[in-house]
Amino acid sequence: MRQTDEQQRDEYEEEMVMFLERDQLVADRRQPLPPANIGSRAEAALWTLRIFVLIVGAMVIYTFCAKL
Amino acid sequence: MSTARPDLAPEDLPAPPLTSEDVARSLDRSRVQRARERSSRWYLLWLLVGPGVLAMLGENDGPSMISYTADGAIYGLGFFLPFIVLTFMMAIVCQEMSMRVGAVTHRGFGQLILERYGRSWAWLAAGDLLLTNLVTLIGEFVAIRVGLAYFHLGSGVAALLGVVLVLFTLSGRRYWRWERIVLGLAIFNGLFLVAAILVKPHLEHIGHAFATFSPLPHGNFNQILLLLAATIGATVTPWMVFFQQSASADKGLTPRDLRQGRLDTITGAVLAGIFGCGALVAGAALLGRGGNSVNGFAGAGFPSALSHLAGGTVGTLFALGMIEAGAVAILTISASTGYAISESMGRGSSFNLSFREAAPFYSINVVVAAVAAAVILIPGVPLLSIAINANVLATVLLPFTLMFVLMLANDRQLMGRWVNGVGTNVLALAIVVLVSVCGAAYGIDSFLIQIHVLS
Repeated sequence: MRQTDEQQRDEYEEEMVMFLERDQLVADRRQPLPPANIGSRAEAALWTLRIFVLIVGAMVIYTFCAKL
Repeated sequence: MSTARPDLAPEDLPAPPLTSEDVARSLDRSRVQRARERSSRWYLLWLLVGPGVLAMLGENDGPSMISYTADGAIYGLGFFLPFIVLTFMMAIVCQEMSMRVGAVTHRGFGQLILERYGRSWAWLAAGDLLLTNLVTLIGEFVAIRVGLAYFHLGSGVAALLGVVLVLFTLSGRRYWRWERIVLGLAIFNGLFLVAAILVKPHLEHIGHAFATFSPLPHGNFNQILLLLAATIGATVTPWMVFFQQSASADKGLTPRDLRQGRLDTITGAVLAGIFGCGALVAGAALLGRGGNSVNGFAGAGFPSALSHLAGGTVGTLFALGMIEAGAVAILTISASTGYAISESMGRGSSFNLSFREAAPFYSINVVVAAVAAAVILIPGVPLLSIAINANVLATVLLPFTLMFVLMLANDRQLMGRWVNGVGTNVLALAIVVLVSVCGAAYGIDSFLIQIHVLS
């Protein structure tokens, strides 16, 4: 009986797994991807954008607070 | 992009054990496969729409509708009407990339930044999102409050309604159920269009505005910049990017579904554009009748002002629309926060997981909504100002998020043959520049006025 339950579960899983792509499975998605190689120029550009965004964001927040 | 055993082809690997999340997603995908086998195109589209429509209609939220109505009330039917359409076209470019990355990689935006670019960038992006989402969520509760105030109900009811709605939609523990409930609610964004029709606008004025982008806004330069930045922030925002990619992965979209994913995104943008223009047209009815004073509406609210001008039905529709706009956005923005923070921590994030399996995801969904709800209960908080500035803050922080979408969509190792084409890259970079300039112009101008360098 127990064997039958296991067989049924296996069959069910086999049927279910057909509808998903291999890399959609949770087990696969939990495997971390390798880090991307971003060049030093791209890294510098990202930091520049980051600093720009922070400065303008701080100005907006300051103006909002000052107007309260 | 599987990394489990790079030495073996995927089909040679033994199937790993299925989790409850896999089974739930597989059930949804089995319906998609059957629809494909039967060539039921409309049914297939019905099954696959969701993340795009929800991102777009979710962004027709309280602060956005307040911004559009304010655009109309202050400047009438002119530049801002076609500008809304333009911003939704920008949104299609950005959201299509998020959908495509989600469908191809099956991973959320936060997870991909964490794994590809490291913890620092992932946390910075998630931190930005948390800040803008919290402020925006306060704006959503403001919208519900403005709507409920028309029916003589107070802040307490607005706070309770929003939080109960989040708890109710999370209780199903299935992505499909969550998505369909929110889609059902989002349909009522169309109330703004009905309100616009009922104020009997001059069609020739609408046609003229679309054809000529005029009359151009005039008057206070800083206020024009504020509404320009707020209008951009009303259509393209960081949370939409996080949400659509993560929801596409959670829904189980695959590269085979990209056509339907694009239709989903375009349909959402068209509907949101029409309904957003509806809010502006309704607001334009207030032009010359006190509409130039946005803060003047803080007490009575736009619904009451419209009710006095165009009748109780218009006021009621507008008030219900505000409640809907706030409610749908509370659900989608809470979800995007849950996805982003959980993914950036490397934790499970799916509506198909149980509470125990995804405690941070569900907790963050509820906590951010509850914190925002608590703020609107504080007496004397400048709620309308928060609502409009929420969009401005989103605009200012958006370029950073967009650069990551652009990098991911161009990552050939991740995307294979689905990487961005040259045209998409040119458009996306132009959008990053435009958004940066608009956000910076308002931020710098306001700051210089505030410190008395400019008058």
